[in-house]
Amino acid sequence: MHARDPAVLRIALLALATAMVAALALGLGSGGWDWQLIVTLRAPRVAAAAGVGSLLALAGLALQVLLRNPLADPYVLGHSTGASVGALTALLLGAQIWLGAAAGALVAGLALLWLARPALAAADDASPRLILLGAMLASVFGAIATLMLALVPDQRLRGAIFWMVGDLSGADASLWNLAGAGLFVAWLWARGRSVDRLMLGADAAWLLGEPVRRLRLELLVFASLAVGLSVATSGSIGFVGLVVAQGWRLAGVLRTRELAVLSMLSGAALLMAADLLARLVVAPLELPVGAVMALIGAPCFIWFLAKGIK
Amino acid sequence: MSAAPLLETRALTVRAAGRALVDRLDWRVHAGERWCVIGRNGAGKSLVLRALAGLSVPERAGEVLWQGRPQQDWPVGAAASTRALMPQQAQDRFALTVERTLALSQLVESTARGRASELMSALDIAALAARRADQLSGGERQRVALAQCAMQGATLMLLDEPVSFQDPAHQQLVGRWLADGAAGEHAWIASAHDPSWIARVATHVLALFGDGRWQAGTVAEILSAPVLEHTYGCAWRSVEGAWIPA
Repeated sequence: MHARDPAVLRIALLALATAMVAALALGLGSGGWDWQLIVTLRAPRVAAAAGVGSLLALAGLALQVLLRNPLADPYVLGHSTGASVGALTALLLGAQIWLGAAAGALVAGLALLWLARPALAAADDASPRLILLGAMLASVFGAIATLMLALVPDQRLRGAIFWMVGDLSGADASLWNLAGAGLFVAWLWARGRSVDRLMLGADAAWLLGEPVRRLRLELLVFASLAVGLSVATSGSIGFVGLVVAQGWRLAGVLRTRELAVLSMLSGAALLMAADLLARLVVAPLELPVGAVMALIGAPCFIWFLAKGIK
Repeated sequence: MSAAPLLETRALTVRAAGRALVDRLDWRVHAGERWCVIGRNGAGKSLVLRALAGLSVPERAGEVLWQGRPQQDWPVGAAASTRALMPQQAQDRFALTVERTLALSQLVESTARGRASELMSALDIAALAARRADQLSGGERQRVALAQCAMQGATLMLLDEPVSFQDPAHQQLVGRWLADGAAGEHAWIASAHDPSWIARVATHVLALFGDGRWQAGTVAEILSAPVLEHTYGCAWRSVEGAWIPA
């Protein structure tokens, strides 16, 4: 990337904007400007929002290339609900929550990949079928999660519902999400040209010498780990993955390397802003950020569909 | 450079729905040769080209060798310099520009820009460089696909119908470009239909009769009234060097 490249400018400006959103998210809220409050309460939450937003945006980017569908998104395609089921299973078995969530996302991803195999292999346009398959998977996993909630002992119900509704209020100070997002971006950067070529089609990429099978598996594993980590932190939050990468593509950013950095930054900014809204709108009460995100995201999705973007 | 042919098939058989389209094809393509594959619709031209490129074909048997080495023995990266394929249909799902599409099709990234502008002006797509590849006309997209295939710089280009959507002027342009394009250590194989066009641009022809039988030879050997009639199932006559179906 050359210093005069517009990409560098875009990234720099976006980094600045993201930092400003972070500052606002840290500074605003009930209780006002209190250093103690900022460090102990708001900072962990803002970090969690940034991490989860980054992870979801990157997962969306990866899934869009993997499934050759610009409308792919972990929430729409059932990865997030799969992760919720995994998290609930882990909760019931007393296992590591994030591990269960990642496994659930991976199972959902593999199921979708397997079901969509004929459509992906054929040259025809798999978009509508793929989205429908994903929506069906999401509702199956959603039903399983609801059934599992019935099994959860009453005193743990509040915590269990948390995995269904995206909510950052319980997020702890873990920096795993940000670290995971950083790792994801590094991988996308390293594989940038190969992932770009995958956009030309699986056959075309293979003919150009790309190890397509391994590349797709890596994309799926990274996306699933990202979804798993984010669901373990905040439950399932929709639309960040869909809106962010797709938005940058519409704005003309097509290189995976630049797309990855921009998606991470704007995913972080978007969720920090949504969480700020969730805290401020009916303060001192708090709204679940998942619902706020859906209120922003669903109209965006409808707009994409109405504009006829495949 | 080994003396082995760029491409060799040994008893290559391609079936569709249990029916042999091409049966035990034994064929060699050497550097400097320009081959056209002819056959009626559904005779297996595209399937053969896919098989030659190493892509999966539902029912196939026999062996394909690139530069004397079986295709399955080539590492996927090294194979990219042995053969490139221009498919009949591009699969554009993302809004990539023509320029970007070409840049991604180059094996060595550093030389991509110069090679791309050279190809774009040769194939009359220079004006489309900044356009989205998925928003071009059929003929324009086809020339972009041809440029993509050439960008790869493989010794053998496999072209599935490179001129089917071209207007007469661009058929000429692409034909002339192809006729010059197999110099030195390179060769190409293209499926095509118009015998007059083939006679101008190719050195050799492989005729697929659709029932498993095939015939390979020089343009003079294959482009004859009996073989064309056998291939297409209609009579042909030659008028001042042009082939016309009767």
